Amino acid sequence: MGKYTLNVNGAPRTVEVESDTPLLWVLRDSLELTGTKFGCGINQCGACTVHLNGVPTRSCRTPVSTVGSAVVTTIEGIDSPQARALQDAWCELDVPQCGYCQGGQILAAAALLKSNPRPTDADIDAAMARNLCRCASYTRIRAGIKRAAELAATSTPATGKRE
Amino acid sequence: MTHDPNAGASKHARQIDRRQFIKISALAGGGLLVASVSDASAHVAAVDGAPAAGLAPVADFAPNVFVSIAPSGAVTLIAPNSEMGQGIKTSLPMIIAEELDVKWEQVTVVQGDLNPAYGRQFSVGSGSTVANFIAMRRAGAAARAVLVEAAAQEWNVRASECTTFEGVVMHAASNRKAAYGALATKAAQLPAPVDVPLKDPRTFKLLGTRIAGVDNRKIVKGAPLFGMDVKLPGMLYATYTKCAVFGGEVVSANLEEVKAKPGVRDAFVLSGIAGLTSGVAVVADSTWNAFSATKALKVQWNEGPQVSQSSADMAVQALTLAKANGPAPLPSGVRAVEAVYHYPFLAHATLEPQNCTAWYNNGVMEMWTPTQIPSSGQGLVIKGLGLAANNVKVHITRLGGGFGRRGNNEFSLEAAAIAKKLAGTPIKLTWTREQDFAHDNYRSNGWHAFSAGIDGAGKVVALHDAFVKMEGGPGDMTAGGFPFNAIQGSQVRSSKLRGGIPTGFWRAPGDNGNVWATQCFMDELAHAAGKEPLAFTLDMLATVPASPRFDANKLIAVLKLAAEKANWGQKRARGEGQGFAICFANNAYVAIVADVSVSQAGDLKIKKLTAAVDAGTIVNLSGAEAQVQGSMLDGISAAWFQKITIERGAAAQTNFNKYPMLRMGQAPPVIDVHFIKSSAPPTGLGEPALPPAAPAVCNAIFAATAKRIRTLPIADDTLRWT
Repeated sequence: MGKYTLNVNGAPRTVEVESDTPLLWVLRDSLELTGTKFGCGINQCGACTVHLNGVPTRSCRTPVSTVGSAVVTTIEGIDSPQARALQDAWCELDVPQCGYCQGGQILAAAALLKSNPRPTDADIDAAMARNLCRCASYTRIRAGIKRAAELAATSTPATGKRE
Repeated sequence: MTHDPNAGASKHARQIDRRQFIKISALAGGGLLVASVSDASAHVAAVDGAPAAGLAPVADFAPNVFVSIAPSGAVTLIAPNSEMGQGIKTSLPMIIAEELDVKWEQVTVVQGDLNPAYGRQFSVGSGSTVANFIAMRRAGAAARAVLVEAAAQEWNVRASECTTFEGVVMHAASNRKAAYGALATKAAQLPAPVDVPLKDPRTFKLLGTRIAGVDNRKIVKGAPLFGMDVKLPGMLYATYTKCAVFGGEVVSANLEEVKAKPGVRDAFVLSGIAGLTSGVAVVADSTWNAFSATKALKVQWNEGPQVSQSSADMAVQALTLAKANGPAPLPSGVRAVEAVYHYPFLAHATLEPQNCTAWYNNGVMEMWTPTQIPSSGQGLVIKGLGLAANNVKVHITRLGGGFGRRGNNEFSLEAAAIAKKLAGTPIKLTWTREQDFAHDNYRSNGWHAFSAGIDGAGKVVALHDAFVKMEGGPGDMTAGGFPFNAIQGSQVRSSKLRGGIPTGFWRAPGDNGNVWATQCFMDELAHAAGKEPLAFTLDMLATVPASPRFDANKLIAVLKLAAEKANWGQKRARGEGQGFAICFANNAYVAIVADVSVSQAGDLKIKKLTAAVDAGTIVNLSGAEAQVQGSMLDGISAAWFQKITIERGAAAQTNFNKYPMLRMGQAPPVIDVHFIKSSAPPTGLGEPALPPAAPAVCNAIFAATAKRIRTLPIADDTLRWT
């Protein structure tokens, strides 16, 4: 058992859990941030994706003891222009089917758009390869990323810098 | 376009999410509120007007169990069926709204709990829309009629002179109008009408348009919606471990050792409960502590007779059985074409593992369960735990995928059995991914040993299928469907492998394998007959006798449309190919054309899918199109990569590293979906586009490489060509 103070969605959150507890279960059970989903537990499906210092990371295999002061951002907390554009595009194009994977998909796509505001199909394939959609809503996820790229381009300066 | 499910609710509504709702309700004693609804907006609708008792304000107009209209004008509609991605939480309320004649933006949708008053709440067999279409229309139409009557009485005019438009009753002659909300109090005092006429389907305004899912905004923000997201005060977290060998039972377990693990509150064996597979429950203060302690579990099992089962043995037995069911000799001058097709067991692998939250309190079992058939979970608990029906309450959460898996409710009984043992404490049972794979009700494996006869003119004059599958479960093959119904004297003779491996309903049961095999064999026959495959199938379809259930002309129409839209028949380089397949399922007619390329090294790329579908009236164009897109890819994902192999009576693949699933880069960049315009009643649409997708791809692979895929998954074969 250990005490850990994490930086989650911009606020310090202190939890007391076993040191091998994956960040996933700290978020879900201790912090009641259930937008991060449990899918496989072995880094395969991407439903548990969060951002650690802006990098999409599988929280199911990230022990809480290794998180340290890294900035943890979950689907509940992400508020970048890219994420907002993705969330709007997802609603506009009716991307979700069951919806269980979509938080992870949006976090993966938000990191892609931040580093690459106009991704090609190949860029999308590479960036999204670690996120499964069991309903296979891939066609609309791809369209959603492209639509979000358009939305983000009109709401941010051409340099791609944040608002 | 986007519909915010909270658009019609108060500001207060937007501030309360589902998690808080469950907590608030629980603190209030777990009685009325929780029993009536399981959705945040519903809760708010209920408490807004009457915070103390939680009853709906008297002034609300609620002419039936599906519709309520507040004096504020807010329209609340109940979605009775389980939402698992098929869009039913949006489409059924759309049907009500169409007849009620309100703007969709006025509507707040609330998930209904299990309640006999809601009628058919099963979400299986692509049947929710079909079965509820008229009931939803009647609910909307009856409510509208009362509002019109209320206005007519207010104005002292005849109801027949009044019209409605987007939530307003109008009387043109006197130029008067009143919003539904303003009429709600008056309407609430009027009797519900009987036999209200329904709209002419050709005048539908909302149905057939694109409406985005009502939960989308919550989904993209990560709001709690799913069974997995339920949290109750004081809740503990449980696992339930069963024998990996099907039918195996617990003899003993190291319970004391497990109880000493961090965070563990209890560990016990459950057995002797009707309908429950014996196993070991571990209950802890967090999911992770429960998972960790479960890893330390050492159980002595009585594995039972299924330990002798293996997929390898089944294959040997199946071919022997098929041989014994072989065809009659062909007449002379008729050429034989023979092929054996085989598909493996499949897991459902819903992305949300099976789970259920249960709370046994004061003799009442309350469950929050992601289930396709809530009444079945309730029934299991009534029977297994000896509770009275009115003491078992089921709240339907959103489902992280269904695909037929969640028609079985053993996870609900497991959770309830654990909760009963820990009376007073809510528990959430979560299956690990490994348990989810190991304890599925799989799509049955199957073998089709086809033999056909082709005469000198290239006509198929005989067709025989010696079919083998596992005993029990769905998926039987009949000679009633195409192409058997086009060939006189065609025959299907079925035999069964010894059962014991649990099989069940997997999206498009039966068709998901049978259509693959028959549609691939049709392509083989066309080539054997020296015919162009499209013309060959169209010619054969034209000979199918008419029946009340099946109209071959509709299948011809979708096939021609798909072929036209896909530019069928253009000359292609080697390594590039087109294939098609057709299917009649759930009363829908589907044709799919696949465009693929296969590199010389054998890398398969699906470049494009074109689908033409006749599904009658389209309720929600966005949802309908999504179902066709998703089910095609689901079928292809399974056929390309997936198999469950039985070894020593257990599943050999227990996570996604051994059971790959289609990923973004493997999905075709283009999926083109065309619906035939129709005002016929809606058919099912969650499944019928799945079965023809894989054979279209396999036939396209043949066109590209001259390689015939007769065993699934495709990935088990090399597609290399020179």
